[in-house]
Amino acid sequence: MSCSCSFGDFSEGEGSIAQIKPEDQKPLPPPFDDLDEEPFFEQLSEEARNKYALLDDTIVVKIPVPATEEEEERLVNQFLSGFRKLLTAENNWTFLEPLMISLEHCAKCQTCSDACHIFEESGRHPLYRPSYRSEILRRIYFKYIKTGSTWVHGDIDLNWKTVTRLIELSYRCNLCRRCAQTCPIGVDNALLAREIRKIASQEMGIAPKELHEVGSVLQLKVGSSTGMTALVVKDNVEFIDEDTTERTGIEVETPWDKEGADILLIHNAGEIMAWPENPGAFALLFNAAGLSWTLSSDLAAYDGINYGVWYDDIQFARTALKHLEAAKRLKVKKIVVGECGHAHKAITVIADKIVTGDLNIPRESSMNILRDIVREGRIKFDKSRNDFPVTLHDPCNLVRLMGIVAPQREVIKAVVPEERFREMAPHGVDNYCCGGGSGFAIMSGLNFEHWRHRLPGRRKFRQILEAFQDEPMDIEHPKYVCAPCSNCKGQIRDIIRYYDAWETAGIYYGGLVELMVNAMEGVEPNYIDWEWR
Amino acid sequence: MPEFQVGDITLEIDEDGFIQEPDAWDEAVAKALAKTEGVDELTEEHWKLVNYLRDYYLEFGIAPMIRKLCKATGFKLKKVYELFPSGPAKGACKVAGLPKPTGCV
Repeated sequence: MSCSCSFGDFSEGEGSIAQIKPEDQKPLPPPFDDLDEEPFFEQLSEEARNKYALLDDTIVVKIPVPATEEEEERLVNQFLSGFRKLLTAENNWTFLEPLMISLEHCAKCQTCSDACHIFEESGRHPLYRPSYRSEILRRIYFKYIKTGSTWVHGDIDLNWKTVTRLIELSYRCNLCRRCAQTCPIGVDNALLAREIRKIASQEMGIAPKELHEVGSVLQLKVGSSTGMTALVVKDNVEFIDEDTTERTGIEVETPWDKEGADILLIHNAGEIMAWPENPGAFALLFNAAGLSWTLSSDLAAYDGINYGVWYDDIQFARTALKHLEAAKRLKVKKIVVGECGHAHKAITVIADKIVTGDLNIPRESSMNILRDIVREGRIKFDKSRNDFPVTLHDPCNLVRLMGIVAPQREVIKAVVPEERFREMAPHGVDNYCCGGGSGFAIMSGLNFEHWRHRLPGRRKFRQILEAFQDEPMDIEHPKYVCAPCSNCKGQIRDIIRYYDAWETAGIYYGGLVELMVNAMEGVEPNYIDWEWR
Repeated sequence: MPEFQVGDITLEIDEDGFIQEPDAWDEAVAKALAKTEGVDELTEEHWKLVNYLRDYYLEFGIAPMIRKLCKATGFKLKKVYELFPSGPAKGACKVAGLPKPTGCV
């Protein structure tokens, strides 16, 4: 470990102030337990190092190094002005209260550090303590906004390096809120990380391209962050219907824009592009269960993503309104969110703070609907069809944020033989993030993907390997990591590929509905095709 | 923005190596991009994939679903990875001159 991350260094240090040394990391379980055999950790190029503001071994926000003193000053002034705005009710009524609680209080007990997978997997590097980032923000708050005594609250020099490093550091957190859960006085370090991202985006126009320019902006412009227009998505879903019919032997048709349906189902559109067996399985199950449901082809309403949840309240609100307006137009009874964690957070939890009147349409998790399908017994399942080891990944937004823990387990119990299922340790509300949370799974510029696998993703990979330790670790014995969330699935796919864990250990992944269809009686066997994607 | 040299032409590429002007794409560009992906020679099978991606992109403005690509070309996904080791999105799309796929894919 190499570190010069005192608070003075954070403001004054040259270049990267912290580097991870692979030998400081705890080895993974077998067959990946040889640190020397770990995949190559690509280092930043000299060009990138000179061009962008530096914090550690990677760069994700890509803030250009200011060329003039004016630019340096502008960064500081904009940051302070954005920060001041977040401290007023009219500009931040959604999050002002938890922001103030977390800004004004911290007992410095470091309980949060032990809860953080990034800090732990970094070899306990001080830069990645959840409280380190918060403490910098807190010191800026007390010194520059409340102009209090630095003797009481600690000193910090606010210059362009402090600002750019703090913004980069706000993207070294998965926003999983495991630290907030463990804090004895309710401080939410993840919330503070997100508030820093908000200052950057809402006031300074600084945000990772994947989240903003080709994320929320693209979604509001063409209808989906994948770039799918209504025409393309309908064409793709028609293809999925045909493909699912062919593979299952059961006629599948997805209803579009059906006015008065009970349910408006909103998928993460990434499922349609990259994992079509997921929306295909949903259509088959919902039809077989006799549910009244529809998709919407309104702008943005066929893509449940809402990347604003990760960095910008304004983009968040714009997208949430699109989803709710589509539901209102179709006069549905409720919105059901597909297998996407952050979409759950957006439309069910945060949207609660912005919607009123007839836009306040009931919203529900698909996990509950799937559980009800199993309970009501309208579909018969033959568990023996899922005769392979299965473990379940808990998406943070489902379990920790919303407490949805039992429904997906009830489904698993109905479709997977008991002796084949094993929990990860820990799981449920105490789960660990997949490592892709807060948008990391879709960010890969420069060497960020390497950093993401070596730090945030490492704990989940460790848990997956531990869960399957009683099985032969080879491709002849395929194992299924069930991850009912698109973002988690993307991250788990990427980390399996990074370690070549499909070829080496037979570790595969997929959603929950795929497991259900795979076990459905009367359906052609082998809906899960174990073909790497 | 980084640049990419093909013969006399200079193309802008993003940090993942995707060209920024899909219209500037031609066979020579494809061959040069393939080298950056560790594909030294584009065989008939490579071209079948690349041409399908290209035609789909020109018609719809985005990349096709992966399963559509497999069905249309008759290649199993494993085969696609054999042809383009970084996969259909990061490898094949790049060589076909498409922008990097966006969203949760």
